[in-house]
Amino acid sequence: MKKGLLHDFTLLAILLIPVGVALNFVTSQIVQILRLPLHLDAIGTVIVSMIAGPWVGALTGLATNLITSLTNPTSLFFAPVSITIGLLIGYMSKFGMFKKLWTTIVAGVVITFSSVIVAAPIAVYVFGGATGKSVDTVTAAFLATTQNIWTSVISSSILVESLDKILSVLIAYFIVKKMSDRYLSKMNYGESFIQNKKTS
Amino acid sequence: MRHIENFVLNLYPSTKLMLPIFVAISIFLVPSYYYAYMMLPLCMVIALLAGKLKEFMELVIKGLLVLVLFIFIMQSIIAPGEEILWNWGIISVKKEGVILSLTLTSRIVAIASAFLLFFRITPIQDIGQALEKVGMSPKFSYAIIATFQFIPEISKRSKVIMEAQKSRGVETEGSLLTRIRAFIPVLGPLVLSSISNTEERAITLETRGFSIKGKKSHLYEIKKSNVDIAIQIFTIILMIFLLVGRLLTWY
Repeated sequence: MKKGLLHDFTLLAILLIPVGVALNFVTSQIVQILRLPLHLDAIGTVIVSMIAGPWVGALTGLATNLITSLTNPTSLFFAPVSITIGLLIGYMSKFGMFKKLWTTIVAGVVITFSSVIVAAPIAVYVFGGATGKSVDTVTAAFLATTQNIWTSVISSSILVESLDKILSVLIAYFIVKKMSDRYLSKMNYGESFIQNKKTS
Repeated sequence: MRHIENFVLNLYPSTKLMLPIFVAISIFLVPSYYYAYMMLPLCMVIALLAGKLKEFMELVIKGLLVLVLFIFIMQSIIAPGEEILWNWGIISVKKEGVILSLTLTSRIVAIASAFLLFFRITPIQDIGQALEKVGMSPKFSYAIIATFQFIPEISKRSKVIMEAQKSRGVETEGSLLTRIRAFIPVLGPLVLSSISNTEERAITLETRGFSIKGKKSHLYEIKKSNVDIAIQIFTIILMIFLLVGRLLTWY
């Protein structure tokens, strides 16, 4: 199957974007109903990027943040973070990072660090360290002791994000593994998740 | 066709988009936080004219108030400065910190409220169609509109799945570990059923000729009027005027 910006937007892939955005929303709703101490608000983006590639994933991330900003305007400024997650997961899927469990965990770590690297400058320059999320209390606690805005923002977000992002990637991996081979074979990036490869 | 008798709501989407663009550019051209804070009252006046003041204010208060407070607290803790205004334990509020946080928050409030207002006064359908007119594929405008249908639909399905799993004996209340264990049996079926739905949807759309190349007709049309063009030209002239003014005061 041909891959790349011009070939990834098949009808099935485009229809996957609204589903990914809606899944991001609904997952955070479920997290709230179950009162879990996590966000897990990027699972939809991760799933879409895994099977439909980096560009479709990036668009899903952008759309999610745009729609969240209808009620919570700060997420507009953090759109680059979601776009990065989509792009990175898509490229890692292209190079077969999600074939084994341990490489998937490595992918989760990569996502954690890259989203912190993208988010920290936005948090510092646009918001002076605040994000309007629950991380702020941790950041404020670090600030009171270290007095340095960069160390506080980066260490508090690594502390909070790492578990969240690694779990998101793992959950997405297990769900994609459960998808039918028939469906995965239609997706441009689905082949590394297909289990029964009869034609070797 | 819809008929709304409201001047603001009847404007073309790109005309309405001039507001956030103008606000986002002009607050960096006029470097005073008084000016940036004036953008919120400006948006409120437009919201009042559109009859959306109440919803708009609710969103602004819910979305921005806590954030602005947090920025104030953080900036006043860390900003270096000589002039101490107020002292409490290790925390001291300095004049430089207050000025810095006023500048930061004024810009955030200005940009965020302009965007909030834009999405309040512009229906998603209109945005989709305006984008289609400037050359976006109808597939994407369908995706934009479908997103807003999917969110309530999938949210409803998640509740059905949760009830179904509860009746099978999956516990959703109790200790943290039990609640974490309940997450996968709810999310898994939700994702898989939503994904298999897209396949059916794709087939349905194809049988109606969705991918056929050629000109598509619309049930619902939006039109650009002379007033739209006048407002757009006026805003662009105003921005050029501000830019020239800024360049002149620099040298």
